[in-house]
Amino acid sequence: MLRSLQVVFARLPFATAALVAAALALSGSFARAQDSSGAASPVDEFSQQLEDFQKSVPDLNKKIQESATTIDATTDVAKARAEIDRLRDEVSTLLGAVADNGPVSQLGVKALDHIHQKLKALSADTRFKPEERQYLIGQWQQLETQTVAADKELDDARAQFVSLLQTLQQNEDFIGELLEIRQAERALEVIRSLTQNIRDASNQLNKLIGGIKPPGA
Amino acid sequence: MGVMTARVFGLLASAVVVVTAIVACRPSGDAGYVEIKTVPLAPLTQTALYLDSTKLAPIKKGDTILRQPVGTLELQGDGFAGTLTQLCKIVVKKDRITTVTVSVLERPPRCQCRFTGADAATAHACVS
Repeated sequence: MLRSLQVVFARLPFATAALVAAALALSGSFARAQDSSGAASPVDEFSQQLEDFQKSVPDLNKKIQESATTIDATTDVAKARAEIDRLRDEVSTLLGAVADNGPVSQLGVKALDHIHQKLKALSADTRFKPEERQYLIGQWQQLETQTVAADKELDDARAQFVSLLQTLQQNEDFIGELLEIRQAERALEVIRSLTQNIRDASNQLNKLIGGIKPPGA
Repeated sequence: MGVMTARVFGLLASAVVVVTAIVACRPSGDAGYVEIKTVPLAPLTQTALYLDSTKLAPIKKGDTILRQPVGTLELQGDGFAGTLTQLCKIVVKKDRITTVTVSVLERPPRCQCRFTGADAATAHACVS
């Protein structure tokens, strides 16, 4: 078995060897990271990602408000459409983080799994005195409550992002159709009413996401 | 001998991790979203659904939004005799959301597009 593996390795191209070297280097750093981060790392990771995400939202909010002002001030439909398109891109990028398969949501799932495992393990752990064990369980339960709450608030924010993106795409389609039948004036009216919706959604988003409390914070 | 074999396997496992990381870190290109709603509404929908061949996680509260690469995907469900059945095609466009509702009470589950395509190529596909 070992002999045949050695033969395989001898025939591996240089790129694979480099890959294996990188793997060794990386596995070392992963091991170190795991050693130093402690048991609560998935919760910490989720908390950190959530904070980073929260930090990026005021920036988006500013861009949305600026876009809305630009759209309001313009009489050029093409420019307004380009601005809506840019906005859709910004909203889409942030939705990517909180989508169900996005990094923040995935970390939320991982954090909750970790908490559940810890609670299960602690309830069967005999290393500690009953009061110590109860204290640890209590702390993990508190983290569980906070993580579930953050997840729920993230769900609300996700729904708001989805709604905003859908509003943008539907209005953009309608504007496109209006332009095809040379109704530029009507298109401008739609654009103007859209900016109010955008502002409202943006304020709502800012409030929702700003209000999320990362677990353990 | 045993230790050596374990090390070799460890090495191979690490190589797999690196390859996966490299693939995952490649620029993902254009992406859009698929929103899947399930009816009847349940806290957790256990019916197995697949986007192309990727099995989806159970859907919470009847709604999930998934970032996907631009293109046409197949939503599949468990059919009869353990085979996968195509429920519908979903066209994903850049920065847009394509919504589909899946009735999970039926066997196989049934797809209902929010919008279907206007041209012949997408007439039976869900579009945004």
